[in-house]
Amino acid sequence: MLEDLTIIDLTDERGIYGAKLLSDLGANVIRPEPRDGDPLRKRGPLRETKDPDLASLWYAFFASNRRFFSLSLEDENECQALRHQISRADIILRCDNHFTEPVIDIDTLIKENPNLILLDMSSFGKAGPWKDYLAPDLVAGALGGSAATTGDFDTPPLKGFGELNFMVSGAYLAIAALSALYDRGESGSGQSASISVHEAIASCLEHVFMFYWYADTLDRKEGKVLPRRGALHWSDAYDVMKTKKGSIMITPTPDFDNQLMWLIEEGVQEDLIDPKYLEPENLRMRVDRSMEILRKWALTKEAEPLFFEAQSRHAPYGWVLPLEELMQNPQLRARFWFREQSIEGQTVECPGAPFRLKREGEEIKLPLAAHVGPEEHKEQLLKEIGWDAK
Amino acid sequence: MSMDGPLSGLKVLDFTHVLAGPFATRILGDMGADVVKINSQTRAIGTQDATHPYYLMWNRNKRALAIDLTTDGGKEIAFELCLKADIVIDNFSVGVLDRWGIGYEKVRKINTDIIYVQMSGMGEGGPWSDFVTYAPTIHALSGLTISTGVPGREDIGLGFSYNDHQAGLHGAFAVLAALEGRRQHGKSQRIDISQFEIGCGFLGPALMDLSANGNTAGPSANDLPFDQACPHECYRCLSSTADANQSVSGEEWIAIACMNDEQWEKLTNLIGITDWAAIMKLDSVEARLQHKNEINEKIETWTSQGKAYTLMELCQNAGIPAGVVQNGADLMENDPQLKSSHFFSKLPDTHPDLGEQYLDRLPINFEKYELNDYRRVRVIGEDNEEVMKDWLDRGAEEVKTLEDNEILK
Repeated sequence: MLEDLTIIDLTDERGIYGAKLLSDLGANVIRPEPRDGDPLRKRGPLRETKDPDLASLWYAFFASNRRFFSLSLEDENECQALRHQISRADIILRCDNHFTEPVIDIDTLIKENPNLILLDMSSFGKAGPWKDYLAPDLVAGALGGSAATTGDFDTPPLKGFGELNFMVSGAYLAIAALSALYDRGESGSGQSASISVHEAIASCLEHVFMFYWYADTLDRKEGKVLPRRGALHWSDAYDVMKTKKGSIMITPTPDFDNQLMWLIEEGVQEDLIDPKYLEPENLRMRVDRSMEILRKWALTKEAEPLFFEAQSRHAPYGWVLPLEELMQNPQLRARFWFREQSIEGQTVECPGAPFRLKREGEEIKLPLAAHVGPEEHKEQLLKEIGWDAK
Repeated sequence: MSMDGPLSGLKVLDFTHVLAGPFATRILGDMGADVVKINSQTRAIGTQDATHPYYLMWNRNKRALAIDLTTDGGKEIAFELCLKADIVIDNFSVGVLDRWGIGYEKVRKINTDIIYVQMSGMGEGGPWSDFVTYAPTIHALSGLTISTGVPGREDIGLGFSYNDHQAGLHGAFAVLAALEGRRQHGKSQRIDISQFEIGCGFLGPALMDLSANGNTAGPSANDLPFDQACPHECYRCLSSTADANQSVSGEEWIAIACMNDEQWEKLTNLIGITDWAAIMKLDSVEARLQHKNEINEKIETWTSQGKAYTLMELCQNAGIPAGVVQNGADLMENDPQLKSSHFFSKLPDTHPDLGEQYLDRLPINFEKYELNDYRRVRVIGEDNEEVMKDWLDRGAEEVKTLEDNEILK
């Protein structure tokens, strides 16, 4: 879909997901790596192999469909080759403090090629009192606001699993790149754009600012800040509940009457049929009482059959699926979401794109290249800029 | 009628609701696209109620057109709008737009380079395609709930609708990718997005670990699930008032993450435990992980005597990654970084019914565009006349008749 685009991927954890989104849609994405090893090739989980460059499944996932260009900053020829690649590219995705910074003067390259689009990502932006602060995912999520609302009253604030904060900043990076590209198509010239990871995380906190800005309208006892409280949603109407076997996310929304009918069928409605719960001013009371009854009721059920029964009644319950179940999930399998990635001849199932694309009614097939080492594409990349690899 | 931005001139017809879809179109509107939000008096309930704070959060920079799509006249107008649009986007269950007579197959025959983006819960096709989902449903099903939390518990997960935001980001990305596809190929496109698949994708490395090694990742609290770092935790600071049975309001926490031995050494110097660390031989991450609880106790003894922002500054000045666990009030009131970048602001145009509105701006800074001309959320049908003129060249009188006939309602 994006096969005419050439992108240079100078990202680290903070932006690599954005480069992945673009490469998985077919863009030609070149990722320079330091000769002495990209530290991201060491990120777990690891697979068993004698080649340490191909051990990281983390890297196989995040650096999918890239072509790698290994270089030493001491080797002027290799640096020059990278400059050539950049001068031919459409888009540069760059996180600050990238290892190529000492030898690649991108500002000059942009002046020479006004069509170039440069995306700059940093943890806190280019200015401001925190601009030099260090922020791996845990710290980024703490400062950005996601940790304060994740966890329970009896746990510390928690980070999301894996790199969820950096997957937000990465997604913004891809959006910014394609927006600047669209603008280039209309205006005829490229531009630079910058993204702060901190702002990106803060922009995706659902209810957090709503509680602060509209506290008077919401009229909640918690005031302007809702403390962390496990899986209980800000509306109080969605929660993960225990069952006899497994856990399930249960909600009486959006159709309270539908849920009430089900409870009546099972004879566990208690006082929910009291007309007082139908008064608009008693909606909050109805939510709280419904959840109380549902929690007791869930303990008499098993998560899996309850989930399917709920969905057959158009109730948006969600079974807390173990990962093993996810691997076998019939919906993902029916949509051929899992792809098979080859790494040193081993076939590893990996997530596909969350998109199905059709052009003129015909499905567009998305690429999935074998995951390879840092030297694999070098000769080909040098040939493309007219250089002899020797 | 859109503001000046990288997407100026782009026409987006927006049938989305709740958070995921509206967040996608909010991003497009923030960048200058002309987003026309379709709502109606009859559909304006719950999170579609244009006076609900939730609606106010996700629908700025859009124009409001009210169409009653249960009427034939409403469906005809919607069809005409589809013929003028660059993008048609919805997050209904599969098939709703077809039932209204404005499905992709019908529209693309006339609007030959139209882009349709459908952001349903499960995507089109498959045994679960009709399942009803909200973000907490997707979190549960996709592995996000079971993996975020502490070992032994399945009832924590993410404390906000992360996947809705991400679905919005992926929706905006899909629109933009399709625009580039249109530039390259000049043909109509349809993008079927599964919010479930978006959520599952965030577990990518864990799923590959399961496939390649047979390992099942579980919740790892604040530890890295697959890599080693220690200390890597949130610590209670001075003014923490909570105990295990009380509300957590009033607490202060700081996250400290030593990602290498050098940062650990700096931390031991800063908090004065160099000798203890030497005696315990904690100069490797493997050794530190073996003594994680003791290390965390030492650190919390230090943090519990200081204010979170002061401790953060001390750590960062010493080259140690650390950050206050900021809640909404902290972000609004105490974060000098967001203040310096003018991340929050009050909209200049006061809402006729709801008064002042606020915003967190798009976190992308373009060299060519300031993007500071944000527009407040509109009431239902507030832009009927303007949109009907701009998109369909209909006059005010005709619009009035359509309103009187309860078609534009």
